[in-house]
Formats: sequence, structure tokens, C-alpha cells
Amino acid sequence: MIQVEGLTKIFKDKKRGKVVAINNLKFECQKGQIFGLLGPNGAGKTTTLRILATMMVPTQGKAEVNGFDVVKDANKVRRHIGFLSSETGLYDRFTPRETVKFFGRINGIEDKIIEKRMAEIFRNLDMEDFQDVRVNKLSTGMKQKLSIARSIIHNPPILILDEPTVGLDIITARTVIEYVKKFKEEGKCIIYSTHIMREAEKLCDVIAIIHQGNIIAKGTLEELKKNSLSDDLEEIFFGLINQGENLK
Amino acid sequence: MSWKNIRLIFVKELVGTIRDRRTIIAMIIIPLIFYPLLFTGIGYFNKLGSMKSEEATSNIIIYGAEFAPQLVKYFQGNEKIEILNIKENSSSKLENGDVQAVLEIPSDFKYKIEQGGAGVLILKYDATEAKSRIAQKRINQIIEKYKGEIVLQRLSHLGLKEEFITPLILKEENIATAEKIAGSFLAVLLPYLIIILIFIGAMHTAVDLTAGEKERGTIATLLVSQISRLEIVLGKCFAVMFISFTSMVLGLLGLTLAFLSGASIAGGIEGAKFGISINTIFLIFLVLLPLVGLASAVLVMVGIFARNIREASSYITPIYMLTIFLGIISISQGIELTSKMFLVPVLNSSFVFKELLMGKICWDHIITTFSANTIIAGFALLESTRLFTKEEVLFRS
Ligand SMILES: Nc1ncnc2c1ncn2[C@@H]1O[C@H](COP(=O)(O)OP(=O)(O)O)[C@@H](O)[C@H]1O
Ligand SMILES: [Mg+2]
Repeated sequence: MIQVEGLTKIFKDKKRGKVVAINNLKFECQKGQIFGLLGPNGAGKTTTLRILATMMVPTQGKAEVNGFDVVKDANKVRRHIGFLSSETGLYDRFTPRETVKFFGRINGIEDKIIEKRMAEIFRNLDMEDFQDVRVNKLSTGMKQKLSIARSIIHNPPILILDEPTVGLDIITARTVIEYVKKFKEEGKCIIYSTHIMREAEKLCDVIAIIHQGNIIAKGTLEELKKNSLSDDLEEIFFGLINQGENLK
Repeated sequence: MSWKNIRLIFVKELVGTIRDRRTIIAMIIIPLIFYPLLFTGIGYFNKLGSMKSEEATSNIIIYGAEFAPQLVKYFQGNEKIEILNIKENSSSKLENGDVQAVLEIPSDFKYKIEQGGAGVLILKYDATEAKSRIAQKRINQIIEKYKGEIVLQRLSHLGLKEEFITPLILKEENIATAEKIAGSFLAVLLPYLIIILIFIGAMHTAVDLTAGEKERGTIATLLVSQISRLEIVLGKCFAVMFISFTSMVLGLLGLTLAFLSGASIAGGIEGAKFGISINTIFLIFLVLLPLVGLASAVLVMVGIFARNIREASSYITPIYMLTIFLGIISISQGIELTSKMFLVPVLNSSFVFKELLMGKICWDHIITTFSANTIIAGFALLESTRLFTKEEVLFRS
């Protein structure tokens, strides 16, 4: 459902000059699969996901989401994705009901369908108790549930999640991970970025390790283990990074 | 472009803004409650103070009363004046307010008057004290009266009539209508007030809806939706226009209320009829609309460009100064209006308001102003939309 080929993004930064944020990325993600982008800060995860979510245009290469080109058919791509990142915020002065309704509407969903789906989502995410409380009065956990609800109200087959657990306490983070698993079971195609090894291990069917804009290894956890000397993802990760440094 | 989408954004921004307590305070509480209360309070205390000093009798000291018995009789005859019989420390008594004025009559006074000369009187008072000023006024009136009498006496000595010293009498008639008087008073201040109120009304909301949305990270959620960038920009701009316009109207209403309540307590504004016709009001609104649009579009553009609220505010400060500057220029009297001036935004609206309030309708000025402001607002909107599609602007770090 997601296909990426030769994806490259170069920023022209005033201070640093040309910054190659991602370089010649190639990967794909199927229905019912969680694809993990694992890498440290500045590796290029956010840039990749922003391109997939049509917020940025790649300098080179091609990305297709559900068969649509992210540049030429941006609008159609948007119809099929739900986007959530650690940086996406919520409107403080609206209630969860109002928020979800608004996002349903701006995604072109009819009110009747919104009401039906909203009730279902609120039940599943256990949000009914606070559905009419303004966002600024909600706890971090409640807010993150709302962020999830907001991003799936139009029932997108593809979810783009950029470090959705950053800044959350362990309980909330766990809840988020539970829901991501549930979405996978529902058959959604999920691309999930993180810098936390344990999360990638627990959640992802395929892991791409990204470092300084390059994918330095890709495969299922088993494949990654097989190709390296270690059984531990963290060891594999640092092994690969050191290999890369030595090659330079 | 779909109006349904624009309306979705418009309504969302409007509801969000109205739910912001700061908006309510700035839009409703301050103009509609605070201004009138403030002016009423000021008017009330003014009146209270002036009533007290008008009613109170003035205590004065007269030195050398024996040299002008005639004049002193006048003083004694006045109910509001009390002559104190103290001779020492008059200046310190004047300073601490025990007496309100000291009159000194020199010993040669009577002689000078009788000889047809000028008798010099010295009046000491404190111009910073309301009571002392009132005493000064009362003493002056009495002296004027006495002076008139002496003049008449002298004239009759010479066998002359009173008209001899008033050979010319000029009778003036002011033909200005109440509408024009009210207009010229309003014409000076109102355009400036309107412009400032529009700008202030738009400022906070425009920044909140653009740079604020960037700062809170909600902008990405809009960008991934089915709504186009142009629709987002238009929806936001219309919301800012609405808020700006409403706060301008409420601001004017509040100031009018404040003025009326303050003035009525302080004694009423005599004969001030606000004679503005419906036609004039309609034309004012016609000129206002593009101005509101212009202010909103420019502020939205700046807000989109800025990284965060703080940066936006620092960009807006010079624009605000420029607006005030143009407003002040438009207030200053005696500027020769050329038709090119009506191409300058803000300045043009201010001049047209002035003309309308004075009862003049110059269609070429109105049309030039309307078109110039609309076109510039349009450009600002297009530029906002362009900025809104630029990732360098949306994701500047
Ligand atoms: N808008 C931008 N302008 C300039 N450089 C950027 C911009 N966004 C990201 N970068 C740079 O691109 C690289 C990748 O960043 P990012 O994709 O945010 O990494 P990650 O999400 O993995 O932490 C970093 O070096 C970052 O500084
Ligand atoms: Mg990131």
C-alpha cells in the first residue's frame, strides 16, 4: 500500500548549507503490516513521514500511497491516510466530540457517518466519560486518545505515525501501542517511526534502521538478527552504525 | 474551492476565538463595560468636585480696604465672598488653602481714580487650585463691574454717551448645521479611531490563527485533510475580518456610551446632535469592508510567515506603528488632497471617512479607495496562500 523508491530530500539550510535529510530511501509496506522506521534523532524519520503525508515534496524519488503519487495526487493520498505525530496538537478550546466532528467534516465525511463512527471510536478508546470536556482540561493520556480518534475518524486504510509515544508516560505510551496493534488487526497499513528499540521490537513486522538519512538495514526482526552477530536489537543497531562509520 | 469548506474553517476559528477569555475581555468587557464605567467615574468625580467648589464661598483677604471703600462694598454685597479680617501670614494661608485669594489695594488707589488715572490692584491666587480659580473669577467679575461704573462716570463727566467707546458692533451668525458641527468634530477623530480599532481587533486573532496554530502543532492536522490551502487561508481570513469588524463596532459603541455617560453626568453636551444619515453610514461601511479585509489579510500573511507567536508580534509592531502614523497624518488638518493619495491604503479610507462625515460624497475617491484596498487585500490573500504551500515557511525550525 505504501511504495517508496529512491526517495531523497535535501534542505537548503541558511547556516548549514545543503542538508541531505534522507537519501535514496526504498521500502514498502503492505496491508495489515506495521513498518517501523527506527533511528536516532535527526535520522530523517519525520522528513520521510511528512513526504508520505503530502506535507513536503521530495527532492528526488517517488512515493506512492494506496496507488497514488504523493506529489501529483496529493489530495487523493490525504483521503487515505491518518497522520499522527508527537508534534501534532489539538485545539484547546474544543471538546473531543467537537474536535472529532470537525476533522470528520474537513475530511469530507457526512455528519451521519461521523456520528456513527465517533460513537464507535469513543467506545473503543474508552473516551465516553470525557467526550464533552474541553481539551485543555484533559490529561495527557486523554489527549493522546483524542489525537488517535481524530486521525482515524475518516477510517483511513493507512496510518502514518511519527513517534506517537514521545513525551508520554509509560501507561499512556502502552495504551497507544495497544491501539496500534489493534489497528493492524483491523487490516490497516501502518508506518511507525520511533527511536525506541523495545517499541520497534514489540510492534513492527518489518524494521528499517535509518541513520543520517540512509536505511542501513531492513527486514523482520528475525532477519536482522540472522544477518548480524547479535540477538539484541540494540546491539545490532550499534553494530550497524559502527560499520557505517568505519566504511567512511 | 468550496464555500462549505471555507465555512467549516471560518466557524471553527470563530468558535475557538470566542471561547478564548482574552477575546471576550478585549472585545466586550473593555469597550462596553470598562470605558463607560471609567468615563462615568471621571465625569462623576469631576462634577462632584466642581459642584463643591462652585457652591463654597471664597475666603479672601483684602489689604488696604480703606483706600477703596466703594469697591469693598461690592465685595461685601456678594454672598459667595467672605472677607476675612486677618492681616498676618496671608501668603502661607493662601498656600495651605485657608484663603483662596488675596487682594492688595495700594494707598494711592482712591487718588488715582479720582484724578482720572488707573488704579492698580494686585490679586494673588493659586491657579492650580480649583477653589482659588473660582475666587479669582468672582473677584474679576466684581472688578469688571466696578470698572464699568467708573468708565460711565468719566464719560458722563465729559458729556459723552456709552456708545462713544463702542463704535463698532459685529454680529456673527454661524450657519453650520448641527450635522456639520457634529461631523467636523467626528471627522477629526473617528477615522483614526476606526482604523486603530480595526487593527487592534484583527491583530491578536490573526496571529493566534496562524503563528499560534504553527506553535501548537495543529497546522499539520489541517494540511493532511481534504481542505485546500486556499480554503484554509480564506476561512481564517474571513474569521479575522469578522472579529476585527465586530471589535471595531463594539469599540465605537463603547466609546460612544462612555462619552455620552461621562458627558451627561458632567452637564450634558449642548446641542450635539449626531446627524449622520443612513446613506452616509452605508457608504462608510462600504469603504470599511475592504479596509477590514486589507488589515486582516496582511496580518494573516505575516502570521503565516512567522515561526511563532512571538516572532509574529515583532513583525506586526512596525506595521502597527505605520498604521498609527498614517492615522495621525490623516488627522492633521490642512493637507492638500491629491487623487494619488487615495491609492495609499489606510490613508485613503481615513480621508474618505472624513469627507463622508463632513457630508461630502466624492464618488471618484470612494471608488479609488474601495478598489485600491480590495486589490491589495487580494494580493495579501494570494501571497498568504502561496506561503501556506511553501514547506520552508510551514516547517521552519
Ligand atoms: N525544515 C527543515 N529545514 C532544514 N533542515 C531540516 C528541516 N527539517 C529537518 N531538517 C534536518 O533534516 C535532518 C532530518 O531531520 P528529521 O527528519 O526531523 O529527523 P528525525 O525525525 O529522525 O529526528 C536533520 O538534520 C534536520 O536538522
Ligand atoms: Mg522526528
